[in-house]
Amino acid sequence: MAKSRLASIRWTLLLSLVILLGCLVVPGLTVKHENFKKCSQSGFCKRNRAFADDVSAKGSSWSSPYELDPSSIEFKDGKLQGTILKTVSANEKVRLPLVVSFLESGVARVVIDEEKRLKGDIEIRHNSRARKERYNEAEKWALVGGLELSKSASLNPDTETGFTKVLYGPDKKFQAVIHHAPFNVEFQMDGHTHVQFNNKGYMNMEHWRPKVDGDTEEDQSTWWEETFGGNTDSKPRGPESVGLDITFPGYAHVFGIPEHADALSLRETRGGSGNHEEPYRMHNSDVFEYELNSPMTLYGSIPFMQAHRKDSTVGVFWLNAAETWVDIVKSTASANPLSLGVGGKTTTQSHWFSESGQIDVFVFLGPTPQDISKTYGELTGYTQLPQHFAIAYHQCRWNYVTDEDVKEVDVKFDRYQIPYDVIWLDIEYLDDRQYFTWDPLTFPNPKGMEEQLDASDRKLVVIIDPHIKDKDGYWVVKEMLNKDLATKNKDGEVYEGWCWPGASHWVDCFNPEAIKWWTSLFKYDRFKGTLPNVFIWNDMNEPSVFNGPETTMPKDNLHYGNWEHRDIHNVHGITLVNATYDALLERKKGEIRRPFILTRSYYAGAQRMSAMWTGDNQATWEHLAISLPMVLNNGISGFPFAGADVGGFFHNPSKELLTRWYQAGIWYPFFRAHAHIDTRRREPYLISDPYRAIISQAIRLRYQLLPAWYTAFHEASVNGTPIVRPQYYVHPSDEQGFAIDDQLYLGATGLLTKPVVSEGATTADVYIADGEKYYDYFDYTIYQAQKVPLLMQGGHIIPRKDRPRRSSGLMKWDPFTLVITLDKNGEAEGTLYVDDGETFDYQRGAYIHRRFHFQASTLSSEDLGTKGPKTAEYLKTMAGVRVEKMIVIDPPKEWQEKKSATVIEEGTRTASTVSVEYFSQTGGKAPYVVVKNPNVGIGKTWKIEF
Amino acid sequence: MIFARGSLVFLGIAACSTVVSAAKDESSRPRGVGPEFAKFYKDTTTFTCISHPAIKVPFSAVNDDYCDCPDGSDEPGTSACSYFSHHSPQSVADRPGNSDLELTSALPGFYCKNKGHRPSYIPFQRVNDGICDYELCCDGSDEWARVGGTKCEDRCKEIGKEWRKQEEKRQKSMTAALKKKKEILVDAGRRQKEVEDDIMRLETELEAQEIKVKSLEADLEEVQKQEQTKVVRGKKKGKTNVLAELAKGRVEELRNALVEVRGERDEARARVKELEDILSKFKVEYNPNFNDEGVKRAVRSWEGYAAREATDGRGANAARDRDLNEISKPDSETSGIDWVQWESEEDTCESAIYQLAAYLPPSLVNFIEQKVLAIKGFLENNNILPKKDEDHSSESKAVTEARDALKSVENTRDNIKSQLKKHRSDLETDYGTASIFRALKGVCISKDSGEYTYEHCFLDRTKQNSKKGGLSVQMGKFVRIGSVTVDEVKETSEIIPVQKTSLEYANGQTCWNGPARSTTVILECGEENEIQKVMEDEKCVYSMIVTTPAVCPGGEAEGNVAPRQKDEL
Repeated sequence: MAKSRLASIRWTLLLSLVILLGCLVVPGLTVKHENFKKCSQSGFCKRNRAFADDVSAKGSSWSSPYELDPSSIEFKDGKLQGTILKTVSANEKVRLPLVVSFLESGVARVVIDEEKRLKGDIEIRHNSRARKERYNEAEKWALVGGLELSKSASLNPDTETGFTKVLYGPDKKFQAVIHHAPFNVEFQMDGHTHVQFNNKGYMNMEHWRPKVDGDTEEDQSTWWEETFGGNTDSKPRGPESVGLDITFPGYAHVFGIPEHADALSLRETRGGSGNHEEPYRMHNSDVFEYELNSPMTLYGSIPFMQAHRKDSTVGVFWLNAAETWVDIVKSTASANPLSLGVGGKTTTQSHWFSESGQIDVFVFLGPTPQDISKTYGELTGYTQLPQHFAIAYHQCRWNYVTDEDVKEVDVKFDRYQIPYDVIWLDIEYLDDRQYFTWDPLTFPNPKGMEEQLDASDRKLVVIIDPHIKDKDGYWVVKEMLNKDLATKNKDGEVYEGWCWPGASHWVDCFNPEAIKWWTSLFKYDRFKGTLPNVFIWNDMNEPSVFNGPETTMPKDNLHYGNWEHRDIHNVHGITLVNATYDALLERKKGEIRRPFILTRSYYAGAQRMSAMWTGDNQATWEHLAISLPMVLNNGISGFPFAGADVGGFFHNPSKELLTRWYQAGIWYPFFRAHAHIDTRRREPYLISDPYRAIISQAIRLRYQLLPAWYTAFHEASVNGTPIVRPQYYVHPSDEQGFAIDDQLYLGATGLLTKPVVSEGATTADVYIADGEKYYDYFDYTIYQAQKVPLLMQGGHIIPRKDRPRRSSGLMKWDPFTLVITLDKNGEAEGTLYVDDGETFDYQRGAYIHRRFHFQASTLSSEDLGTKGPKTAEYLKTMAGVRVEKMIVIDPPKEWQEKKSATVIEEGTRTASTVSVEYFSQTGGKAPYVVVKNPNVGIGKTWKIEF
Repeated sequence: MIFARGSLVFLGIAACSTVVSAAKDESSRPRGVGPEFAKFYKDTTTFTCISHPAIKVPFSAVNDDYCDCPDGSDEPGTSACSYFSHHSPQSVADRPGNSDLELTSALPGFYCKNKGHRPSYIPFQRVNDGICDYELCCDGSDEWARVGGTKCEDRCKEIGKEWRKQEEKRQKSMTAALKKKKEILVDAGRRQKEVEDDIMRLETELEAQEIKVKSLEADLEEVQKQEQTKVVRGKKKGKTNVLAELAKGRVEELRNALVEVRGERDEARARVKELEDILSKFKVEYNPNFNDEGVKRAVRSWEGYAAREATDGRGANAARDRDLNEISKPDSETSGIDWVQWESEEDTCESAIYQLAAYLPPSLVNFIEQKVLAIKGFLENNNILPKKDEDHSSESKAVTEARDALKSVENTRDNIKSQLKKHRSDLETDYGTASIFRALKGVCISKDSGEYTYEHCFLDRTKQNSKKGGLSVQMGKFVRIGSVTVDEVKETSEIIPVQKTSLEYANGQTCWNGPARSTTVILECGEENEIQKVMEDEKCVYSMIVTTPAVCPGGEAEGNVAPRQKDEL
């Protein structure tokens, strides 16, 4: 121990040196605000906010003009239908069909549409070909299931006039209370209201109306045309936004609605100290040098929000693909003087509005965070179980400039014995920025390069974006135009914009024919120079259009089916990913593999197909710090395969920052280093010792824990649980920890880490929520609220592979080490999931899924798997993979004299003994027992009795 | 420690081989043990950890695929102790009961016998990982456990043969390189000698020239004295002729100036054109997505500028150019002024004075003449009349000749002086050990790499020529000979810092949004002067690996010449 203390002192000294030298930190540049709309520059945002202000100002004198016609209500098979009437004037009421579905999973869905538009009974200006309906296909991209209607949901007979009440959910614990006039809904659990719709009266559905020339009472300046940054939106359907207020009574914290560079616990957005002035915006955009602690929109969006209070989590999912803003206001009722010690209850009220489409909201009543993850995942799909390499270390740079460069980096990693699995190519590999080609001068032999990588089971990821260069003789653009598969402008002509290659057209992946064609492009004989170890990076798919409004497409562009870009903008990104996923499934007949795709733009559902990263961050401490809440937030929002560019994309990180970033980055589910073309080379072997050694250790720690990571990914793929979890998720009863977003837990392993994200810091205060023991990962010091960055919570069994290899693929046959941290009661448990890490054979039983349990001095391994046609064959290939070592931390005192334990393995006739040695430690460090080579198969059922 | 009885299922292969090795004595050390470590594995009952003799384990623990010794010496043939490195995260349980120990491996790696080739060590982390690492372990012995069905056949015969062939070639090449180096040294010595000889020669010449200058200075003085005694009068030319001559000179001067200015204008115009082309290309190709205010402003201003240009309709004016062409022609009978006519014209006015003077008393003539001169002087001083070039027009031929002679010799002398200076400073310059780079100075080599052809001219400059068209770019001008430390990483992952001679080039073309380009040329021993590799370490900071015989070790002492060191000068 003295040694490692010494080491840490040395590290401290080095760090102080670094601080002295580190005064030349490049100040982080910030976003150009003038390129992106503020709420006041977005017509419908301004209108909906003004509407909310107006309603609030009127107070009790205000009555929402929306009422549910009681005579229209029908309830059948878990579905309630009716018509909401919007009173526009004394003699004009707009009919809005309402459908409330109560799903088997306990989720309720509320959909409100507009009858005239459903019937096509409107006129569209400018002879536009745009569809007349409100967009109703977002679910086609976002949802994959969970829509079975509840058989047990029923009307509550005990209902007052003016209300309709529906009992639903598990054991009918949930109730939807629908108030007819004005229309509002309360969602209750166990008799308490958790979610309220239109409680504030901000509900708004801008119905279709013809444009009337001449003076009008209302301010119509934003109704018929909007201009921003020199681009004019022709708005052929006029104003058509939808809005709704959603209140969470008694909930002080709301999380979710990524992607924002902000804290996990969302802030209020109506001004005031520490609050935002602008609503959280979701409008997928390529934001250059984005700013931190901001509600500004970023590259992706998941309109899924969770509210959490002690022992209860609820959520709403706003299924709308148009530009969406969310205002958040919190109010605290004064404390009840009678309830001693209990503070005032805080209520969070959110106000959602989208530019077009339907009101389509799902309500989740939890009550645990895991319940929410599970039910949300049933709807939008779970994280794809990735290929094993994808969870290892990725080495990226804009750009590795030649195939020789790539090969040299590959060799260098081996020479310095730093493991890595994947090397990446940004846009410079292309011939004249034409996708599906290679620069003949710089990448003359891509296959040779890929073969070298494959020799150590490594992979290559190349970038493929949706903009296709408009150039004579480029076969891809020619095919796309001939087949009429490109996105159109408002006049129905092929849209042309600017991106990396200059003038370009965009593939319209809403078109099934386009998906088919896109899929064909990735076949090995079409995308020449690719081998099976090549995977894909979809970037710029917001879409990023350099000369477009807010760096994206005009909203009046037309997609397949004549949906306006306005309607589909936020799902645009995943339509490309969806097509690429299809493409990678089977690039050669019979060769079916799990695809790996990294996407920058995303929407709910992206988790089924891809990983994401937080886009173009910067090499600053602040960006390092914000990466943790961003990754955590993605995790609870159903898209946990997330990471940030290690080292920071723009600018050069100091050695200390780079080192700290690696130490933090190994905790991102998606662990990739990336750098801008103007930065210094920073492959980890280039940095001098001690930094090189520290970074190597960090990367190897990631590799050592890959069995635990893969198990966590597996859990995410079946339960929707985050891979790294925030404090509130693991300790939902501990109110102190709800807002903590700078420390995280790895899956269910009990590994708790708090990365150091400030310059010069040598320690970090870890917040410990419970009375459990926490052991230092490296020296087993027992902590109860102490200062170290990686702890193991008592009560877990952590699977590891301790032998460093060149890549994760080469660890396949290595033995496991099990670390058993005993809890206060001397018990522990953990799970392990293993499969071939590559194919879909696991769906036919080719996997190992074990539960390890330590209780009453016996450690056992039980099978959690279900047998399938491929199980036996797989277990046979894995028969040689064993457990080489077990470390039991904090064993009972009486084990001191223990020299052996009894091993009973299935299939062996007699029990055997294994040598066991007890090691005591001093200075608050827990004793431990090492079980030497118990030699039990990882896929076997066994028991070790101590 | 007791070795568990029941654990032989998976270790069968390891254990068996251990037993067999023990029996066969010398030739059969435990798997993975190199001959230099054989002595530690002699005792077949107990094994003593190599770096920690206090720790003993039963010999059966050797190569049982479980790490016992805190220096990994009990696992010479497996990957069980491969995490013994300061690159691995280590916990106390990795060194049970010895938490103070620094875990470092006592062994360099897994020893591959490689019969038929050279034996070598392969890092433990590559043992039984399913990959045949033939470049280090041609006999395939690193994959003895055949994990996942891996089978690595022995390829030492062919690999060894190929290696010996290559090695022979390498040796030959090294011998050739050394020979070349000696030639270079000779050449360098010769060049240095030349410089030294030149200096000597120039010094002598300089002395001679100095004497000449002195004597000519004296001559000139003498001639001038004689001339001053002569009267101003006696010019054979009349005033008109003088004026004509003056005017001719003046016109000539102005014409030359015009031609020169016009040349400059054309050059400026070409540059404006080039810049405009760059800017219009820039406008098309810049990335508006980066929202760089500076760039956007530049683009906007350019657009404004371009629009103005279009309406102004400025640019080359053919008519004016024709006029200028006409004006620029030398005067002759057919164009411009026919000076011959004017130069031969009879005096009218001024000569009249002299004609008149014939009838006047000499005093008055003097008076008038003085007045005329005074007025003329007044006019000249006030820039109303151009001054006459005294030397030119009023100086006698003798003086001119004397002056010209002096000037010419002075020039020669100055020339020699500057040559001397250059040679002397050249001699002071560092040309590396034994001044070897003297022979390479200005030698240019180039290499195709990706989309560029790179060029390196020793001690002169580095350059980048785009194959996709566009201008060639200076990557730096020579600054100095220096040295850099480069990590040489062996295949066994041993890192050895090596000092190498470098040539540094700086102040190349400035990068847009970046520094002036610079290049560090790192020299390595090789038979030919060749660029091996070019890397951009960071924006516009390049390094080049260049082989040259000049840095091959040895050769200096045997060189036929003894080039002088700097300090001997």
